[in-house]
Amino acid sequence: MSWLQKLNDTYENCQSYVGMLAQPDDIPLVPICHTTQKAHVEIVIDAGGNFKRASVVPKNESRTIIPCTEDSAGRTSGEAPHPLCDKLQYVAKDFSRYASSMKQSYFESYARELSKWCRSSTSHPKVVAVEKYVTKGRLIGDLIGAKVLIAGVNRKLLPSFPKKGGSEVPPIFSVVQIQDDVFIRWIVETSGDVESKVWTDRTLWQSWIQYYVDTKSNKALCQVSGTMESAADQHPAKIRNDADKAKLISSNDSSGFTFRGRFLNSDQACTVGFEVSQRAHYALRWLIGRQGYVRGDYAVVSWAVTGGSIPDVIDDSFALLGYDVLPDEQIPAVSTAQEFARRLNQRIKGYGKELKNAKGIVVMSLGSATPGRMAVLYYRELENSDFLRRIEHWHQSTAWLHRYRYKNVGDESKLAKRRLIVPFVGAPAPVDIALAAYGTHVDEKLKRVALERLLPCIVDGYSLPRDLVESVVRRASNRAGLEAWEWEKTLSIACSLYKKLNEKESYEMSLEPDRRSRDYLYGRLLAIADSIEQWALKEGRENRQTNAARLMQRFAEHPFSTWRTLELALLPYKARLGPKAVNRTKMISEVVAMFERDDFVSDRRLNGEFLLGYHCQREAFWKKPEESSLEQAND
Amino acid sequence: MDNIVELAVSGKSALFTDPLTKIGGEKCSYQIPTYEALKGILGSVYWKPTFVWVIDKVRIMNAIRTQTKGAKPLEYGGGNSLAMYTYLADVHYQVQAHFEWNLNREDMAQDRNENKHFFIARRMIERGGRRDIFLGTRECQGYVVPCRFGEGEGFYDTYGELSYDLTFHGFDYPDEIGRSEFHSRFWRPKMQNGVIEFVRPESCTVRKPIRAMRAKPPRTSGSEDPTLWEGIEAMEVLP
Repeated sequence: MSWLQKLNDTYENCQSYVGMLAQPDDIPLVPICHTTQKAHVEIVIDAGGNFKRASVVPKNESRTIIPCTEDSAGRTSGEAPHPLCDKLQYVAKDFSRYASSMKQSYFESYARELSKWCRSSTSHPKVVAVEKYVTKGRLIGDLIGAKVLIAGVNRKLLPSFPKKGGSEVPPIFSVVQIQDDVFIRWIVETSGDVESKVWTDRTLWQSWIQYYVDTKSNKALCQVSGTMESAADQHPAKIRNDADKAKLISSNDSSGFTFRGRFLNSDQACTVGFEVSQRAHYALRWLIGRQGYVRGDYAVVSWAVTGGSIPDVIDDSFALLGYDVLPDEQIPAVSTAQEFARRLNQRIKGYGKELKNAKGIVVMSLGSATPGRMAVLYYRELENSDFLRRIEHWHQSTAWLHRYRYKNVGDESKLAKRRLIVPFVGAPAPVDIALAAYGTHVDEKLKRVALERLLPCIVDGYSLPRDLVESVVRRASNRAGLEAWEWEKTLSIACSLYKKLNEKESYEMSLEPDRRSRDYLYGRLLAIADSIEQWALKEGRENRQTNAARLMQRFAEHPFSTWRTLELALLPYKARLGPKAVNRTKMISEVVAMFERDDFVSDRRLNGEFLLGYHCQREAFWKKPEESSLEQAND
Repeated sequence: MDNIVELAVSGKSALFTDPLTKIGGEKCSYQIPTYEALKGILGSVYWKPTFVWVIDKVRIMNAIRTQTKGAKPLEYGGGNSLAMYTYLADVHYQVQAHFEWNLNREDMAQDRNENKHFFIARRMIERGGRRDIFLGTRECQGYVVPCRFGEGEGFYDTYGELSYDLTFHGFDYPDEIGRSEFHSRFWRPKMQNGVIEFVRPESCTVRKPIRAMRAKPPRTSGSEDPTLWEGIEAMEVLP
C-alpha cells in the first residue's frame, strides 16, 4: 500500500499549512517531532529568564504545538519529559514543596534534557531563557504570587476550590480539575522579536527538529522511501481524535503470530524512516480533523494530494451543491431533474478547475477491531478526472426527489423558527441510506458496515448491495410502522436506490405514462386510490388515515386481492365527491387497461418498482394546478 | 534458456501482504502480486532444488477490487484477537516464467536436464499443480490452468501506465545467493496496459539485510545417494 507515500507527499505539498489554524480550536498540521497538547497556564518571561507575568489560557485557545520526543509523545503513566513545555510535575523545581498530591517531582529528567538542548549546536535563545528561569526554582511560587494558582492555608496548592457562597471561582479551576495537573506554555518577550510565543515560532520548531534528528543514530532502510534513514521506534497515535490510542503501524506486537518465522523481531520485518512516519501520520491526522467523517472508531477521509478541496464522498447532493452551508434565505429549490443535472455539472466543473494541477485523489477509510490497532479498511488512489466523474455519476444515477431536508425560517407571528421542507433532487447520503435500511435506532457497528459497503459503490462504481436495497424497499412498504416524516424519507430513498440498482431500465423521476410493467402500474393504482380517498376525507374535514395507507404493506404482498378491498372501499368516497371524481375514476380504468393479460389478476408480491410508480403518480397529482389545495394539505 | 512456461492463476481472494501492515496484525494487501508470491505459486506447481524459477511478467486480467474481512487470529497466550484483513477479490493473472539452474547446488549438477524439467513443469501446469496453490497467504486458495500469455481480454488492456511506490519484490535466501545472509528486496513496479515486467532479483537496487541465515540443504540426494545401499546384500529377484 502506498498510503504512507501518498500521505508523505501530501505533507510535502501542504508545507504552507503547517501550524496554521483557521480557528484556534482546529487541528493543525503539526510539524514533525511535535505534538499538540492542551495548555492551561502561559508564563511570560524575558530573555534573561525573569518572570514577568502569567495568565490562565481559555479553553478554546488551549491547543498548543509542543516539541516532543517519541517517548514523551507516547507516554501514559511513566516518566518521559517533553523538551520544553510540560506539566508542573516536570517544569517546576519547587513542585514537591507546593504539590497537594503525593506525586514525585520529575524535574531532574526535564532539566537534564533541556540543558542538553541548550548546550547543543542547534540551541535557540528562547530555550536558553526558559532554562534560566526554570533553574531558578521559583515557578510555582511566582504563579501563586501572580494569583494564577491558588495556595491554601498550609502553603500548598489547593486541590479544589470550596464552593463557598459569595467568593468567585478562580479561572484556573475552570480549565483544570486538580492544580497539580496544570500544563505550562512559555512566552519569551525580547525586544525586536515579533513572535514571542514559543508554540508559533517556526525557528524554534526547526531548532528542535534539527536537534532531535541529530540525536537519532540508528540508520536502517526505510521501506517507504527506499533510502537509509533513522528508523522510527514508535509511530504516532491520536489519529482519529485526541484520545485515540490506536496506531496504524504498531511495531511492538510480540503476542500474536504476526511476523515470526523468517523474522526474529519486528525491525527485521519492517522499518520505516522516522521523518516519513511522522509526516505521514500528522498529515493523516490533520486531514481527518479537517475534512473527515469520524464516528467512534471509524473514519472516512478523502483528499487531494496537493491539498485542494474536493467533493466529500459521503455527502448527499444537498451538501454537495453547497446548500447546507448557505444562509437559509438563499437556498434555492431544485425540483426538476434537468435543473439538478445542470447544477451538478456546474459544481463538478468548478471542482475540476480548482484541481487542475492536483496529482491525484485518495479515498481512505480506517477502522479498528481492537482498541490499540487501526486497520486501513478501504484505500483508493484515483486521477482527479476519474474521481470527479465517478462522483458525478453516483449523484446523477441515484437522483430522486427528496423532501427530508429543511431550513429554519423565522415566523414573525410565533417569534420562533420553524422548519420548512426544502425539496431537493439528488442522491441521498450513505448515512441516510443506512438509516433507511435499518431504522433510526440502528446499531453503530451496523451503520458503519453499511457505510463501508457503500463506499465502493460511490468511488468505484460497483452496483449497490442487493440486500440493502431490499431492506429499504421493505421498510418503505410498511407505511403503518413508521412515522410520517420517516416514511416519506424512506420512500424517496427507496426510489433512489431501486432506480440505481436497475440502471438499465432508466426510470425517470416524472410519471411515465407508457410504462406497462406490472409493479409500476400497481404502484400508480395505489397512488390514485390514495388521492381519491384523501380528497374525500378533506372535503368531509375528517383527519383519518386512508385505506390505501393502512393497507400498503398488504398491497405489496398480495396486490390483486388487496386492490379489490381498496376499490370496494372507495365507493362511498367516490359517492361523496360526486362528479368531481370522474377524472380520477377514469384514470383507474386506463391504468387497469394497460396491464398485460395475466399480470393484473396475479397475486404475486410486488418488488420495489411499485414504489417508483406510487411516488411518480403522487407527484403528478401534486403538480396539477387545480389540486393546489390538496398540495397544501399534503405538506 | 528457452524454457518459458505460461499459466493462468485465479482465485476468489488474494492477500499479498504489505510488510508495513504485517507486523501490526491488520494485514492489507498490495494491489499487484509480488515476485515472491508468484515464485511461490510456481514452486507449488513444480519445484526441484536443481533450479530456481524466474518470473518474467504478469498480466492482471480482472479489475483490482479489495474486500475487507474480519479475522480472529490466534494469540500466543491462547485465545483469539480480532483483526481486519483487506484482501483482493476475484483475481485472475497470467504469468510467464522460466527456470534457471541453481548454481549454488553443485550436488544437483547431474540433474540439470533441461528437457526433463521443462516437460514435467508443463505437465504439472496442465494438471493444476502438484501442491495446493495459494495467492499470498494460505487461506487464499487458487487454481492454475495453462494459457497463452496475452490472449483474452483484460480489464487494464487500454489503461495506459500505472506506477506504484516502493513494493516488496522478494527474499534473497542463502541457498539462492550463495552467501549465508537473508535479505529482502524492494522495487518500484510499473504496470503498462495491465502487464508488469519484473526486474531480475540481482538487479533490485533497494535491498534490506535482515539477518544471518545458514542454508540447510538436505544431506542426501535421494536415489542417487551412494550411501543408500550400504549394508544391503545383493537382492534376489523373486519369481
